[in-house]
Amino acid sequence: MAMDVVDYEIFGSEMQYVEVELDPGEAAVGEAGVMMYMQDGIQMDTVFGDGSQQQGGFMGKLMGAGKRLLTGESLFTTVFHNEGSGKRRVAFAAPYPGKIIPVHLTDIGGTLICQKDSFLCAAKGVSLGIAFQKKLGVGLFGGEGFIMQKLEGDGMAFVHAGGTLKEMVLAPGESLRVDTGCVVAIQPSVDFDIQFVGKIKSAVFGGEGFFFSTLTGPGKVWLQSLPLSRLANRIILSAPAAGGRSADQGSLLGAGVLGGLLGSDD
Amino acid sequence: MIDRPFCGRLFGPGLPGTGIPATGSWGEDGCLRVSPEGAEQEELLAENPVIAAAGFNVESLRINWQAAGGVYAFIVESEADRNACRASATPETVRHFTSAVGARIKLDRRFRLGGAFLTLILLLPLIGIGLFLLNSDKVADWAVKRISSEQEAQLGELVLAQTKLRMKILDRGPAVDAVNAIGSRLTTGSVHRYRWFVADRPDINAFAAPGGVVVVFSGLIRSAGSAEEIAGVLAHEVAHAELRHSLRGMIKILGLRALVSLLVGDASGSVFADAATRLTELRFSREAELEADDEGLRRLIAARINPNGMLRFYGKLASEQRLSPPAILSTHPATGERLERLRRAVAQRSESWVPLPVDLGPSRMILP
Repeated sequence: MAMDVVDYEIFGSEMQYVEVELDPGEAAVGEAGVMMYMQDGIQMDTVFGDGSQQQGGFMGKLMGAGKRLLTGESLFTTVFHNEGSGKRRVAFAAPYPGKIIPVHLTDIGGTLICQKDSFLCAAKGVSLGIAFQKKLGVGLFGGEGFIMQKLEGDGMAFVHAGGTLKEMVLAPGESLRVDTGCVVAIQPSVDFDIQFVGKIKSAVFGGEGFFFSTLTGPGKVWLQSLPLSRLANRIILSAPAAGGRSADQGSLLGAGVLGGLLGSDD
Repeated sequence: MIDRPFCGRLFGPGLPGTGIPATGSWGEDGCLRVSPEGAEQEELLAENPVIAAAGFNVESLRINWQAAGGVYAFIVESEADRNACRASATPETVRHFTSAVGARIKLDRRFRLGGAFLTLILLLPLIGIGLFLLNSDKVADWAVKRISSEQEAQLGELVLAQTKLRMKILDRGPAVDAVNAIGSRLTTGSVHRYRWFVADRPDINAFAAPGGVVVVFSGLIRSAGSAEEIAGVLAHEVAHAELRHSLRGMIKILGLRALVSLLVGDASGSVFADAATRLTELRFSREAELEADDEGLRRLIAARINPNGMLRFYGKLASEQRLSPPAILSTHPATGERLERLRRAVAQRSESWVPLPVDLGPSRMILP
């Protein structure tokens, strides 16, 4: 099986980018705005929709674009063709601290369900669809919302997770309780449900919210340690410009007086 | 019935965590035979398989069984394969499918119900706007009846204050005196205390705010040939105020804006102030204009003012419309048609008219 030449490389540790090598005639699709650099010979072409079905009519394109709007992606994707004669490289950078997950879609059966907004780039031909979360409880309290993204195809896809990544394989029947919002991607064979934390006391004072997400195998799941919304929340909380408090460490003088003096030039 | 294979993905002990593609087929004994793709894997025999709906959105079929090494799971994902799996199963096994399919149908139904409910909530303001637009006249009638003339006067004050911010308003001087002299003849017996103002603007325009505030633009006084012509315009504006047209228009705008802000969320909270500023450039409906024309003419005649002045001024506007439309036409549309109507009404009168004892000379002189 492992005869595919590895034609990508991930650089960086906490703020990563992925460099994809394109053979002549090959192409990759990237989320608009994530391209970091590209070598000579790579042609950039912005297409309406997800670029997977170029022959589709206008309505088809419109539908594709509408779906992308729903999943929180931009209306356009960018296709990077290698028009040169040799191998060329193009790099895509992750938009916030975290890890890039390379997924070979054939290895997992051709479909990956992932958090909306987490798509980074993929081989051309991978279609970006939406997967409605039909379980109302999961949609409301599961932390991922009602709209998830479905990547289908047989090539490589790169998805981005916040913080540190945990890949886990669940055996048939094995289940895992996860904090809401931490699920980045799942194989479609995995059951995704929610579960009440159990006790009112822990629900109110435990700080984990009222529900856990539960994932039941078989299949592979990808978890993120730090959802972007949580990071953003913490930053806002401690940002003086947004009404937060800046004093989290240091002496009274350092934080209160000097900190105020030094930090006032924004 | 036997050996109609269906594709799926096999998970189990010793297999890759992400599963491997495999094909399954039911045996006559109710056992499932699963043969993994690839030569190195041997066929598995599943005894006492348990069938359930599983996976994301319970869209796939999961067949679990216990073997020596542990629990195996065979996931049938695509619809065609699920159907093949069901069709070829033995009667005893088919029973298990019913609950699996039931779970999926139940989920679908609840999702649709929830979706419909959510859509309804989102659409409610839209429906409200539609109903309001259809019944805005009735709503305005109902609301106008509940507004006292004191409240109307307060509203007029607000409009005046807003107008003062945007243009220079004169409240004394020969121009105001002239307008006052003409206007007070038209407003005898009104519940409102009328106040007359002249705005220093070159446009040919005038407007009446609720509660008896009438503002005449200096451009109108300058272009008017006689006091009767001004009287004609004033009569029309007074009619608007007396018939509470601007109040009705304002209620319509306010209602609509309130509904719209319900729909999109209003962050500014300045709905009322904004509506007050819009009032001066309010467009009345064609019916309201015709109504105001009739009422204005009635008032002119009651005040014994020659209505031919009104005709002359409308005629002037209609001819100017072709060259460059005066400002008054943007708020008072279709002058030609209204002119004809007024002409017919005036032709029926045969009184002799006394000229208005108002000299426009000094006001024209002094106007900026």
